[in-house]
Amino acid sequence: MTRPQSTLTELARVGFTDLSDVRALLETLDIATEDAGVFGQAADPDRALRALARLQEQHPEDVAALSSHAEWSARAVRVVGASEGLADFLRRRPQQLEALRERPPGPLGAETYRAELAAAVEATDDVEQGRVALRVAYRRHLMLLAAWDLEQDDPLQAQPLVSEGLADLAGAALDAALLLARRASTFPAEDVERTKLAIIGMGKAGARELNYISDVDVIYVADAAEGLESARAVEIATRLAAETARGIQDPALEPPLWEVDANLRPEGKDGALVRTLESHRAYYERWAKSWEFQALLKSRPLAGDAELGQRYCDTVHPMVWSISQRDGFVESVQRMRERVTDHIPDDELDVQLKLGPGGLRDIEFTIQLLQLVHGLHDDRVRQPDTLGALASLAEHGYIGRVEAAEFSTDYRTLRVMEHRVQLDQLRRTHLMPRDDDRLRVLARATGLAGSADEIVALWQSTRSAVRSLHEKLFYRPLLTAVASLPEGGLALTSDQAKARLAAIGFTDPAGALRHIAALTSGVSRRAAIQRTLLPVILQWLADGADPDYGLLAFRKLSEALGESYWFLRMLRDSSGAAERLTKVLAASRYVGGLFERNPEGAAWLENDEELRPRSLDALLEETRATVARHDGDTDAAAKALRTARQREILRLALSGILDVSTIQEVGRGLTAVTTALLTGVLSLAHRADDGIEFAIIGMGRYGGGELGFGSDTDVLYVYRDVGAGERAQATAEGIVRDLGRLTEDLRLPLDLDADLRPEGKNGPMVRSLDSYRAYYARWSLTWEAQALLRAHAVAGDDALGQDFLALADSVRYPDELPVADAREVRRIKARVESERLPQAADPARHVKLGRGSLSDVEWFVQLLQLQHASSRPALKTTSTLEALDAVVEAGLVTEADAAKLRDAWIIASRVRSALTLWLNKTADVLPDDRLQLEGIARLMGYPPGCASRLEEDYLRTTRLARQVFERGFYDA
Amino acid sequence: MDKQRDFVLRTIEERGVKFVRLWFTDVVGALKSVAIAPAEVEGAFAEGLGIDGSSIEGFTRAFEADVLAHPDPTTFQILPWRGEVDPTARMFCDITTPDGQPAAADPRNVLKRTLAKAADRGFTFYTHPEIEFYLLKSASYGPEGPQPVDQAGYFDNVPGGSAHDFRRSAVRMLEELGISVEFSHHEAGPGQNEIDLRYADALTTADNIMTFRTVVKEVAIEQGVYATFMPKPLANQPGSGMHTHMSLFEGDTNAFFDASGEYQLSKIGRQFVAGILHHAPEITAVTNQYVNSYKRIWGGDEAPSYVTWGHNNRSALMRVPLYKPGKGQSARVEYRGVDSAANPYLAYSLLLAAGLKGIEEGYDLPAEAEDTVWELSESERRALGYKALPSSLDRALGLMEESELVAETLGEQVFNYVLLNKRREWREYRLQVTPYELESNLPIL
Repeated sequence: MTRPQSTLTELARVGFTDLSDVRALLETLDIATEDAGVFGQAADPDRALRALARLQEQHPEDVAALSSHAEWSARAVRVVGASEGLADFLRRRPQQLEALRERPPGPLGAETYRAELAAAVEATDDVEQGRVALRVAYRRHLMLLAAWDLEQDDPLQAQPLVSEGLADLAGAALDAALLLARRASTFPAEDVERTKLAIIGMGKAGARELNYISDVDVIYVADAAEGLESARAVEIATRLAAETARGIQDPALEPPLWEVDANLRPEGKDGALVRTLESHRAYYERWAKSWEFQALLKSRPLAGDAELGQRYCDTVHPMVWSISQRDGFVESVQRMRERVTDHIPDDELDVQLKLGPGGLRDIEFTIQLLQLVHGLHDDRVRQPDTLGALASLAEHGYIGRVEAAEFSTDYRTLRVMEHRVQLDQLRRTHLMPRDDDRLRVLARATGLAGSADEIVALWQSTRSAVRSLHEKLFYRPLLTAVASLPEGGLALTSDQAKARLAAIGFTDPAGALRHIAALTSGVSRRAAIQRTLLPVILQWLADGADPDYGLLAFRKLSEALGESYWFLRMLRDSSGAAERLTKVLAASRYVGGLFERNPEGAAWLENDEELRPRSLDALLEETRATVARHDGDTDAAAKALRTARQREILRLALSGILDVSTIQEVGRGLTAVTTALLTGVLSLAHRADDGIEFAIIGMGRYGGGELGFGSDTDVLYVYRDVGAGERAQATAEGIVRDLGRLTEDLRLPLDLDADLRPEGKNGPMVRSLDSYRAYYARWSLTWEAQALLRAHAVAGDDALGQDFLALADSVRYPDELPVADAREVRRIKARVESERLPQAADPARHVKLGRGSLSDVEWFVQLLQLQHASSRPALKTTSTLEALDAVVEAGLVTEADAAKLRDAWIIASRVRSALTLWLNKTADVLPDDRLQLEGIARLMGYPPGCASRLEEDYLRTTRLARQVFERGFYDA
Repeated sequence: MDKQRDFVLRTIEERGVKFVRLWFTDVVGALKSVAIAPAEVEGAFAEGLGIDGSSIEGFTRAFEADVLAHPDPTTFQILPWRGEVDPTARMFCDITTPDGQPAAADPRNVLKRTLAKAADRGFTFYTHPEIEFYLLKSASYGPEGPQPVDQAGYFDNVPGGSAHDFRRSAVRMLEELGISVEFSHHEAGPGQNEIDLRYADALTTADNIMTFRTVVKEVAIEQGVYATFMPKPLANQPGSGMHTHMSLFEGDTNAFFDASGEYQLSKIGRQFVAGILHHAPEITAVTNQYVNSYKRIWGGDEAPSYVTWGHNNRSALMRVPLYKPGKGQSARVEYRGVDSAANPYLAYSLLLAAGLKGIEEGYDLPAEAEDTVWELSESERRALGYKALPSSLDRALGLMEESELVAETLGEQVFNYVLLNKRREWREYRLQVTPYELESNLPIL
């Protein structure tokens, strides 16, 4: 046949890509086309043309018929243009081209498919040929369904019908294979006849939402008719089931259809392939796990004995709905959620249609979760299929109608893409093509887009809509339970909302609902914004260690900040800050308490710079300005200084929890904050004309610059008479009293502690420098020299502070430490170990005095400092960690030993700080309670469920440090 | 697993079991038992049985006052000695904390964890113990010390002797409990017997040893005698060891076998032996956990006191035994240090961990000991580089305390507990004034 030769431009317009080759091939092809334009309807015109050309070459007589039939030709072009797999089928079975002559009828229904496939296998006696006949008949109908699908104007509308058709066709294939299996069975015919076998469809086959190509999940149920032993029936049925699967999936002249997967059966791979109904029932009543019930949600009689299949479903379906009452439901929901995101190879992440954020699995998970939570009390939402469930959840008021409609569209869009990807090679895949050519073909095949770029854009926008689905469908409606804000006519009852909250880990759902109500009710702008934000905030809180407390703290914070423009803007615009806020609130009662008084601190979460500890200079500058501002009003000034301290400690707590600062940086920061406060109040208490100089000396962790949350503030006070004469001591004591009064803060105690002063609790609170000098010259006890190792002048008159330190140097850095003194240090340490540890405390778990914990490391280092600092100036530091570095440098300790001590000091410090942050009170013992341990572990950066790992890490680290300590301290 | 649970519940019904004993083991290796009614079994499977751990050695920590025992259905057995009148069954349990994490102080969990580590490297660990014990006339004793039931010797067949009846009953009972017995014979000491258990994976073996001890004690009571697993009950007679044959399998292949290796021992086998020898001194506080254990090690009579290996050398700590040609699958090595009073879960965990360490680090096997080690002089042993096992529990504890291998394998909490508990035993022992001191010192001082 001759046809006017097309120009290359025309060919390009049709959609061909290899223009010259195509023009040559078109010459040879003998089909009824006026011009090349018919190929424009094919997803891949080049491939359609090549496929038909090859077909014509091998089977000219079959293709010849097309030459007089334009519509037939066009249909063939569409089918082979969209599916290499079907083109291969036609090459194997050219006679089947005939099937495309008439307009395809669409899905034929289960009965018709069953009859057609049965007729095909009954046409032959031979089992092998029967299998071939079955598969050819199946593929003919698959091809017709695809042809119909590809002709639809609205593929999204057609998608559910196509999926139903595919499920019906799969059922018919199993029925036909069972027919073959019965015919081939070597058991006595009458026994085989009396053996009933039902094939239950699970998963997508069960829910009639099947893909073009996927495993078909089944469960087998057997029963015996009158006159047959039940055990015998199971035996025969087991062989029938295995043979049925082989009919579908074993190699034969016509390739296998798909895998028959029976692994959802009781006990999975290890369980019996076939069970009686009674045995199934017993299993589900006794042993089944939550996820197995979730699978039953979709079960349906698919093939085989329909009556038995129906009895199975009637038996197991009611069981599905009792599971949300079981223990461990919350955990199993969490595991379900993990499965959604797990197991995606990295290199597939960006092409996955099914898994990953915004994939099909996301939709299915959310819908199933909603069904499990609400289906218990409402049997109207127990649909097996995703679209049906979505519709009925909307109809009965569990999700908004508008959202339901949107997600129905999104779901079908993804499914159409998946269908076309699978149709291409007739292969089970859920991956988008990677190269532009294949993407363009996919776009044309779906009819949803015209080019590679367009289909990718559609996919991305659908994905991002689906990503917010969970929040929109699960969390957002929670708000409707507590406020009259009909969203598309939707309002959950409070019981429905409580069920959802309990499912995600709130232990007091009623309380949580009250908080939600308080946050969202009213007509204020704040409430309006909270209504938008709260769903996602609830989702983040549910990931924390203590969601209930987190929500309460969030409510308090929101109420305190009221209509603050910046707060609402921060929550709305900067999701990073809002997520951080929920993280710290659900993790730390200490932070929650600080936020109550300093709500504006939430603003820092937007900016890491704001979270960094402020320098001592900046803090002192602020202190000076504050004191100056409150000129003369001492109490008001002190109050302002204390408020500033609370604010800075909040900043440090946030910084530590969010890993902006290390524990050492936090330690220096806390020290600076304390110094700023003391400097400020001292300037209030110590007047320039009182005739004395006065200084505060930091001791202990404070002197070392290593304060933690909840640490005491160890200090010494010193003065020097510069004219006060005999009033000097009284004046100094007055200053000390004022310091105590002005720094008193019940919410966040400073705990000024001067117990390290000469004579301890029996000595005067404050001494003159001369008195210190006289005391140390006369009495100097070793423990005092040791305590002075951490003395650091922190506030007050600078010259006096330096003079005190010079005095301290003479005590703490002796030219040579007498052996007896070293022995004394060891002896005191040993006594502290046996006496100071609280009764019944486990020494291994006490972070301050316990085995290998803070005091071991500190004493170890301090003894070396007493012995060697005078000859090695680098040891003259008040910081434990710096001193540890210095003793390594000086060759007194190996780096390996120092590392063990350092690790122990750091982990003990971190545990101690985490305890304060978690409990909002100071504690010195690693807790036994699992919940507390979990909270602390989370604060220390362990993933959820690692309470035992933290415990093991802590015990190991401190044990190793203790070994070093015993060798280096006691034995040295 | 579910099938097993079904089987257990069905059997309880069919056999009319009246009580089910839930067994678990404390840190020192004492068997603990809680009896529950059949009706509670299903609940115990589903949720575990809450038990008060505060009275159990090693479970004394505050939170573990409340632990859950989860019966392992694969260990279900009817106990034969209770007779048909009142059928009783038992299952071993895994212990967890209330939030479902394995309890740190559960020795069975320690072994499971160590086996899992071996499994990560592709190995399964099989053991086969030869358990020695004494039969005494009674648990009480006079000035002459404990009285054995007979005066026979190694492999002697004692006509009409109660030892023979005893072994027959015990072996029958063990077989009824599903524990295969390889061998049973009279040992070297008077009243001393040995029963060898068939090869099994280490967890099963450890469970079996716990059952074995109970069976032997029960049968003894039935026969009016007393059985003891004390390491050295009679000063002048051999102690009771629990020599253990070990092998690693990779899938179906015995990883210790190499037809071309010396003694057909593969490189993996040599490294495994090297690992155990290297770490033997530091694991001894667990494999030989009593003050009395060191009287066996240092009491002569073929007990291995020096860290050596040999081929058919009965004085070596480790032996690479002969096996029949063509039986590559039975390639194995024997550790002769363990005594019959060890906690098998912990002892096997450490032997496995030490062997694995040898493989991981590629330790070299020292030269074979060909002499009878205890006949050498001290200087000869030093020249040959034979190290001694610790001379006392105190020394053993000191070595254990320094051992990362032991700490890591047992876990920090069991490790700490063993040290505390055994230090206490040593202190109490030191407070004693023994008959020996009185006899040798009092007359002359």
